[in-house]
Amino acid sequence: MSDAPAENKGAEDSLQSLQSLNINDVGETSTDPENHKNDKQKIDILLKPTGNAPIMKKKKWTVDGDKPISWIAEFMKRYMKLEPQEKLFLYVNQTFAPSPDQVMKNLYDCYSTEGKLVLHYCKTPAWG
Amino acid sequence: MANDREILREVWEGKLPISFQLDPDEVVELQQPDQFYLMVPRLSYFPLVTDKVRKHFLRYVANDKQDREMWLEYDGQPIKWHYPIGVLFDLLITSDDQLPWNITVHFDKFPENQIYRFNNKETVESYFMACLKEADVLKHRGQIASNMQKKDHNQLWLGLQNDKFEQFWAVNRKLMEVSSEQEHFKYIPFRCYIDDGYRQKLIKPVAEDGRRKTLQDLINEMFPGRNVNIKTHGMIPPLETPLQWMSEHLSYPDNFLHLCVQM
Repeated sequence: MSDAPAENKGAEDSLQSLQSLNINDVGETSTDPENHKNDKQKIDILLKPTGNAPIMKKKKWTVDGDKPISWIAEFMKRYMKLEPQEKLFLYVNQTFAPSPDQVMKNLYDCYSTEGKLVLHYCKTPAWG
Repeated sequence: MANDREILREVWEGKLPISFQLDPDEVVELQQPDQFYLMVPRLSYFPLVTDKVRKHFLRYVANDKQDREMWLEYDGQPIKWHYPIGVLFDLLITSDDQLPWNITVHFDKFPENQIYRFNNKETVESYFMACLKEADVLKHRGQIASNMQKKDHNQLWLGLQNDKFEQFWAVNRKLMEVSSEQEHFKYIPFRCYIDDGYRQKLIKPVAEDGRRKTLQDLINEMFPGRNVNIKTHGMIPPLETPLQWMSEHLSYPDNFLHLCVQM
């Protein structure tokens, strides 16, 4: 949990601290056998930096459809070796920050283009 | 724009009686505190309505626990504060006989791995506004929310936070408008709650042949071949209800339809 400093509690900061939280998977996410294989669907994502964000060497990733956005954000912070107090903002459609518990499959189903989901990331709030 | 204004008002005024009880293991006073009763708006979020609850129980817990973030539990499970209260109730409570809703209050052992911390109301605000923007991306390609001024966003938020119907709807009506040539949204913003999470897909309010789609169509597209009921705002809407009408009248303040799926 990255605690934002007390004097800087802007709404966007708070959102980031939500996004970067990693809620660990406790057991199976789905108990619905019929849709089980859908949950294991792999999603292609493309990560694009904006503003002052560091560039990731590998931009294309394949992730499990049931992974929440907070998991992706945590992974990216580790991959880019950001300091724990540094912030990372993720956006869909260059418009909105997805809910931290939103899973990749839902985002893919609603917002993918040409077979992949594009996520923009930056270290300061970009769209909001 | 929504025409059945009484329905908007009715939905807005939906309230739930809740009985809050402090976890007895956290009480350090000799005397157990009384329960704390509240009527809370279904459309609100717990962090916006529980300041009084916190105040009521604070002096019964150990000094070093008083600064901790309060969290709520029902039936052994931590309550997800970022779901609207009405959604939580419809998901967790199956019968109205269970009123008031008995919720246990905790200050200790925050379940980090199961729920998000919210720190302050700004966290809730930014979460709420992000949902609202996403809904507008689905309805109007995000054109309306992004062209709004900061003061409009504030008015939406304050309207919700202070339970002011007129204040909220004066701005929200713009988000519910349809363009003159279209007469419906591009897609219907909705979340179907199932299996401890939710599903979202692109569903248009109108079929290829121009027919208005209904709740039944949504069910067919989300759960093909399955018999399911949908519950929202504590009721089961008829399956022939048009989706566009539902979106305009039964959406939560974040502009999403929150549909609890009952198999």
